[in-house]
Amino acid sequence: MMQQLWKRMYRYKMVYLMLLPVLAYFIVFSVYPLVLGIRNSFMSSRMIGDSEFIGIQNYIDVFNNPVYTQAFSNTVIVGAGTFIVQFLFGLFLALGINEIRNKAGKSMIQSITYLPYMLSWSIVGGLWIKILAPTGMLNGLLNLFNSSRTMVAFMAEPKYARMIMILTGAWKSAGYYTLLFLAAIVSIDQSIYEAAAIDGASRVNQMRSITVPNLVPTMKVIVVLGTMGLLRNFDQIFIMRNSVIDDKIRNLLYLIYNDGIQKFNTGMATAAAALVLIATFVISYIVRKVIKYDQNY
Amino acid sequence: MKGKKHQFKNTMSRPWRIMNYIFLVIVFMTMFLPLWNVLVMSTSTALDAGASGIKIWWKSFSLEGYEFIFRNMKIATPLKNSIIVSVSGTAAQVLLSALAGYVLIQNDMPFKKSITSFIMLTMMIPGDLTLISIYQLNKQLGFLNSYTGLIINGLVSGFSILLMRNYFLSVPYSLAESARIDGSSELKIFYKIYLPLSGPGLATITFLEFVGKWNSVMIPATITTDPNYFTLPLVLRNLVTDSAAISGAPLAKDNAIMAAIVITTIPLLLVYVFAQRFLTSGMTLGATKE
Repeated sequence: MMQQLWKRMYRYKMVYLMLLPVLAYFIVFSVYPLVLGIRNSFMSSRMIGDSEFIGIQNYIDVFNNPVYTQAFSNTVIVGAGTFIVQFLFGLFLALGINEIRNKAGKSMIQSITYLPYMLSWSIVGGLWIKILAPTGMLNGLLNLFNSSRTMVAFMAEPKYARMIMILTGAWKSAGYYTLLFLAAIVSIDQSIYEAAAIDGASRVNQMRSITVPNLVPTMKVIVVLGTMGLLRNFDQIFIMRNSVIDDKIRNLLYLIYNDGIQKFNTGMATAAAALVLIATFVISYIVRKVIKYDQNY
Repeated sequence: MKGKKHQFKNTMSRPWRIMNYIFLVIVFMTMFLPLWNVLVMSTSTALDAGASGIKIWWKSFSLEGYEFIFRNMKIATPLKNSIIVSVSGTAAQVLLSALAGYVLIQNDMPFKKSITSFIMLTMMIPGDLTLISIYQLNKQLGFLNSYTGLIINGLVSGFSILLMRNYFLSVPYSLAESARIDGSSELKIFYKIYLPLSGPGLATITFLEFVGKWNSVMIPATITTDPNYFTLPLVLRNLVTDSAAISGAPLAKDNAIMAAIVITTIPLLLVYVFAQRFLTSGMTLGATKE
């Protein structure tokens, strides 16, 4: 038996060799950092000398630190807000684009809405910072309606900060959701529409009672993907934050980066990272249950 | 069946159609104008780019922003870094993903199931949450401030491997079997049969990985402190935050910052044009429910 297994494995020796670099990579760059992170979350942070085991003290510190609690609510508010706007925007856009009969127009608007999704946050963040500046395009646009108003530095107003993060986030990624929705719309059986049209259903009613219900599986996938990424928005805040609006938008990943890498407070930062990981699993478990993701339909 | 007399158009009624067009035109404008504004500002004089107003047409045309960004901000170095890191990283990643994807389709290879589950498990470990350990690991390996570090972090992803596996699964297994009986080596079967038949799959992951690497902010921000190893997104970040709304005199004028944005965008546009036809299939593959 054992010998047979060896024989079979020997037959695949070349194949195993092909896999070796990938397995080695995963062990060094994926598994080892995870183990190291879990270990560090139970150790004190010391820049010099050995750190010592301090139990769950780091976790307690995270819970008692108001900056972390604030970062948690910032993360959830901005994350959920962005997701909802992006979801609705993507859905309506896909429904709207699907009604265009002109092929060139269709692909043009599809490309332009998808374009920001593949740009780096340093590009998107940079261009919006400029648009929202006192001399930027938004102030210019508002001046068209009221030329006596004073210029607003939108990026320096805490009251607009979260709204800006939500809208720019949706601006960047809605095109991706549009793409997913459109792909699903195209695969709906066209004869259903023909039958409905013969029965006298208007196009808008068809969209409401045929297209949208048929998109439910795609919506579920998008919701699950969205919740997995909910707590993990680093790039946008890293680029677009500034000290005036920090309290409104500074999120967990940025705080972890700042504490762990810039300030060398590794113990607390890794504990926070572990908590984010656990929270992500809990949230996606709840969401999967609520939307009945794992049931067949 | 009956002739064309009764062929009716199944479209929206007129008022709805008009509303839809208005909606789409507004969307188009909100997507297009901010990007267009970047292009116009980058090719204006510093004075015009910094003036207030809606800058969607040229008052003056000037390339001084580009000149400034190359001469004074020395953007050629980060541009070179970004190209080196993204191109070599993408090439290596496509090769490794293809190799591993090929392994996962071997029908009766021992431990195939456990290897597949292991790879899927690594997808559950988010790289961004092990950031601090990643930093420490790179420090231990001496990869901080080096091309090796920038290239090797994120070199393999479970997603690309599984994507390649899915493409390979569509190649008839009997082709490989008959080549094996003829005495071909595994490597030969891999690059003579599987690779040529998986063009779209290779193109999709090449595109996705290149875009991901080109745009990467977190890893370079974590493992580089030496400006000689900064990639474009980091330089751009420093440019825009140094002159953010609240701080004093900006280092670079608006037209120079916009020029840097244009330079960072162009390679993405180029790969987008080449890869567009593979896009829909590739992007949706990552989001299908199994």
